[in-house]
Amino acid sequence: MIEKREALAKMFSAKGSKINTNRGAEYYDSLMQTMTKRLAELEQTPAASKASIESVLEAEGLTRRDFMKWASAACAALMLPSNFTPLIAQAAVLMNRVPVIWIELQDCAGNSEAILRSDAPTIDELILETISLEFNETLMAAAGHAAEAHLEEAMHTFKGKYLCVVEGAIPLAMNGLYGTMGAKAETYKDHLIRVAKDSAAVVAVGTCATFGGVPAASPNPTGAVGVQDVVKGKAIINIPACPANPANITGTILHFVLTGQVPELDHLNRPKFAFGYRIHDNCERRAHFDAGEFVEEWGDKGAQNNFCLYKMGCKGPMTFNNCSIVRYNSGTNWPIGAGHGCIGCSEPQFWDKYAQERPMSDTHFKAPTGGVEKTVDQFGLGLITAAGIGIGIHAVASLVAAKKEGDE
Amino acid sequence: MIKLIEKIEGEAKLNFNFKDNKIDFVDIKFMSTRNIENILRGKSPLDALVINPRVCGICGHAHLIATVGALEDCYDDLKISNKAKTIRELTLNFELIQNHFKWFYLTMLPLFGHKQQVLKATYPSQLMAKAIALFGGQYPHTSYAIVGGVVCEITEMDKIKLQHLITETIKFVEDNLVKSENFSVCKNIDNVFKMEGDLPNLLRQIKEEKLLERGKSYDRFIAFGANSYFKKGKSLKTRVSHAISLNYVKESEIPSSFAKNVSYKEKYYEVGPLSRAMINKIPLVIDAHRKYGDSILSRILARVCEISQLLEHSKKLIQALDLSEPSFIEPPVDISQLNASGCSAVEAARGTLIHKVEIENGVIKNYEIITPTQWNLSGGTKDKQGVSQKAMIGLSDIKTAELVFKSFDVCSVCTTH
Repeated sequence: MIEKREALAKMFSAKGSKINTNRGAEYYDSLMQTMTKRLAELEQTPAASKASIESVLEAEGLTRRDFMKWASAACAALMLPSNFTPLIAQAAVLMNRVPVIWIELQDCAGNSEAILRSDAPTIDELILETISLEFNETLMAAAGHAAEAHLEEAMHTFKGKYLCVVEGAIPLAMNGLYGTMGAKAETYKDHLIRVAKDSAAVVAVGTCATFGGVPAASPNPTGAVGVQDVVKGKAIINIPACPANPANITGTILHFVLTGQVPELDHLNRPKFAFGYRIHDNCERRAHFDAGEFVEEWGDKGAQNNFCLYKMGCKGPMTFNNCSIVRYNSGTNWPIGAGHGCIGCSEPQFWDKYAQERPMSDTHFKAPTGGVEKTVDQFGLGLITAAGIGIGIHAVASLVAAKKEGDE
Repeated sequence: MIKLIEKIEGEAKLNFNFKDNKIDFVDIKFMSTRNIENILRGKSPLDALVINPRVCGICGHAHLIATVGALEDCYDDLKISNKAKTIRELTLNFELIQNHFKWFYLTMLPLFGHKQQVLKATYPSQLMAKAIALFGGQYPHTSYAIVGGVVCEITEMDKIKLQHLITETIKFVEDNLVKSENFSVCKNIDNVFKMEGDLPNLLRQIKEEKLLERGKSYDRFIAFGANSYFKKGKSLKTRVSHAISLNYVKESEIPSSFAKNVSYKEKYYEVGPLSRAMINKIPLVIDAHRKYGDSILSRILARVCEISQLLEHSKKLIQALDLSEPSFIEPPVDISQLNASGCSAVEAARGTLIHKVEIENGVIKNYEIITPTQWNLSGGTKDKQGVSQKAMIGLSDIKTAELVFKSFDVCSVCTTH
């Protein structure tokens, strides 16, 4: 038993599964220089929107202290040392220099909704008042033909500079006729390609935009795919999850402001600062997993005592995301906190493979072999399967152990 | 003349036909679809609990509650504790409330020439989303309701947090929306005109701009989703009857649009807060309806009224919540053994939402979703117009038509499921 535990402990603390959060003074010094230079350059450029963070803070009666509190939290979320906090604050002030064009395709508007309900009031201001959301169908004042003209103008004015944020999948079946927009009935595919063409980078927000999401669920009637299957020759940042965590959206934009580059990405183009860990690694119920204490059925004593949900089909060990740290709705709660296992919504094909209370040991899902790889980039399904088996054994063993105790 | 209507949580295309400078007919089209019903076929019924909330990011919670209701309806002898029932109702209430705030501040006010007040929309919505997250883990897209109950095990602490969130939201209403403590008990619309706040200001503007009588339709209302607050029934020119059956609800395809038509006994009905208020006989709304009919004024008033009513009702529900009851009662047989069909109706922010499921050998054979916007926006022919089409007839300008159209709080996301 002890050997098994040690083997598990090794597996879950393997270096390959984590983002490196300590790269030495040299790395951070040079990073700081790069950022300082970039921010100085940005400061010289004209603002894309009129609102400034100072005026917004003042109007809302928020203090400098509130703002700095947010900045230090954002600094931690980006996995940077705390001496970067002043830079983060400066970047937030300069956020209005970077135009953002937000387009909605085959979606449920859930990500826009999530961002509208994003973190503490300060961040709301950051996003809604100072980030220049040049084009968002739900938020902007113009509509219809005026909106179309507005989009053209924004794309022209900020050519090569704007971030193109995409929400929703792209239906390709029937020549894309399952989704059209505008007076000319432009297909989503053409619309995306047109807007992405002159952008600095494309940010795919939510699992639909990244991997096709629920519309792509078997049998994928509309032929839905993600942005990376349509847009070629552009830097693409994937921020999956259903809905994507607003903290990760702001974090990515903030990173772009700070460096002018896309953040470090994993093999699925996800920023490592957010997707460099599994749900399982930082889960608040992890101690119960290690102690072999599981919820065996809904509503049992285990459920009442917040035991581990792995046996109820939690996909935390297979899912890379930072929900267990950042949580949702201004840190109010998250699915595991509410007693429901993770459904793996930031992983490709979660809708077919992971959905609902289906423990991994019961599925026919076979992952490619490969064992434990060294880096997150190669990590993929190899370790996931290995962990699944390991956990399977562990879970069975714990049940046997529990029964034995009962017998005595 | 074709006009694109945006900012309705998605997009719709309206084609206005004029005759003698007045709108004669409006063709409504939705131009996208995801085919969720096809996706559900052949899947495990429990998968629907994960996929269906994702039909809509705006009222996804109503889809979850409707799904769990339809699946539970497949059983003959399933038990659910009062606690689980109440918790589901509470989260649904919170979703309704936050939607109404967003509609009022993000959609309605700008239509009347006011600046879009994003923060006024997001602040109370955030409070309500937090309240849902306390039970459901996150908002949007929670899957915390399961066949047999709910997964959350809330504590007295959560109840206190919840009461706090509700109190804060009520305070927001009294500080901004209607600056009067008497609004929730007010029975006369004339008194609301004299009050202060964003709602009375808007109502006065409607009066000044002579829009009081605009947007009248069939004066036919229906609501199926009964719970501890809402009643099921239909209202024909204030005559209310509660004997209605889902069997008479019919969905039919239209060749030109991805959205399907919905009718009850071959007639189109309006759904939404005004319908619920008419069937529940809310005195203030009844008074407004008596004076101004089923106009935009009545629709706006009913929607805002519902915020106050649901907040007060939710307060009582939380007080009555007995935490010693079980959250989950195991269903008598596993769902994978079932051969049955079930249906459910819940009141979502925009009206009655219906889910129907057919399970064969433990697998979904058929799934049908009828959304509120389908009821209101059913595109009829010139001889038999849909509810919102009828409401726009005879108007002379497109701006007012858009206002009337949006007074139904259109959500194309659901409709293009």
